[in-house]
Amino acid sequence: MDTLESTIATHPFTKDLNPRFLHLLNECATFERFGAGQQIFQESFEADRFYLIHRGRVALQTFVPATGVTTIQTVGTGEALGWSWLYPPYRWHFSAVAVEPVEAAALCARTLRDRMQENHEFGYEIALRVGQLMLERLQATRLRLLEMYGVPG
Amino acid sequence: MNFDEFLRRPHPFLTGMCESHLRLLADNAREVHFTAGSRVFHEGTHAEHFYLILRGKVVLQAHSAGHSVPIQTIGSGEVLGWSWLFPPYCWHFDARAEEDTDAISFPATRLREDCEIDKTFGYALMKQVAELLIQRLQATRLKLVQAHKNEHHAALPVGG
Repeated sequence: MDTLESTIATHPFTKDLNPRFLHLLNECATFERFGAGQQIFQESFEADRFYLIHRGRVALQTFVPATGVTTIQTVGTGEALGWSWLYPPYRWHFSAVAVEPVEAAALCARTLRDRMQENHEFGYEIALRVGQLMLERLQATRLRLLEMYGVPG
Repeated sequence: MNFDEFLRRPHPFLTGMCESHLRLLADNAREVHFTAGSRVFHEGTHAEHFYLILRGKVVLQAHSAGHSVPIQTIGSGEVLGWSWLFPPYCWHFDARAEEDTDAISFPATRLREDCEIDKTFGYALMKQVAELLIQRLQATRLKLVQAHKNEHHAALPVGG
C-alpha cells in the first residue's frame, strides 16, 4: 500500500468505510506536504480541496479589523480540514496555515461532489460523516463560547 | 400526516426535495404544538424527534454553574435538534418554547431507518443537515472571534 492509500485508509474519517468507497476517495486524492508557516488555503478563495491530515498541525485563521489575523482553532493529526467545498458558493470561510510541517491527503472537491451526486450510497456515507464531525465541533465551540465569554452560540 | 396537509405547511428545509422524498417525510410527520414556557426536550434524554419550526420560538439552554444559560434561539423556518442523527442519540441541551410554537415533528428512529433503506433519501437529507451544521459552526466560530476581540484584544487560546 503506498503512502496516499494508507493515509486515507487509516484516517479516522474513513473508519469502517466500505472498501469500494475508499477506492473512490483514493481516485481523487493527492498526497501533499506543507512547511511550517506555509498557507494551505485562503479565506474567500475557491474551496477546491478536502484535507485528511496525516501528520502535523494547521491553524484556521481570520482577519479581524483592529485586531489583525486571529486564530480560531487548530486542527491536527487524524482530523479533517475544510468544509466549505460541500455547498455553494464553495468559498473558504477562513484561511489555513501550517503551524508545523503537515502531511495530508488532499481530495479534489469537485470530483468528490460529482461522485457523491452519482452514487448516493457514497454521498450518504460522506455527508453523514461530515455532519457528525460538524455537530461535535459545533457543540464544542458553543460550550467554549459559553464557558469563556458567557456568550450564547 | 397526509401529503396534501404536509404540502400546506411549507418549510425552507424541504425546499428542493423531490416528491418521493417529501412523501416519505409526510408519512412520518406530525404537527405538534408547544405552549410558551413548556419543555420541548431535556438535556441527556433520548433524542427521539426532529423538528421543523413553523411558527414561534424555541430557546436552547445549557447548564452552567447551576444556571440555565441560553445557547441559541430557533424560530420560524428553522430546524430544531440534531442529536437524533448520531450516536449516542441524546440531547446536548434543553429546549423550551419561548413563545407558543407550532412545529412538524418526525420520529428519529423511523427517519434513520428510511435513510438506511433508501440511500438517495439519506443523501438528500444528510446533505441538507451537513450544510446547515457547517453554516451554524462557521457563524459560531465568528462569534467566538468577536467575543474574544471584545474582551481581550489579544491572540485566542487555541485547541480542539
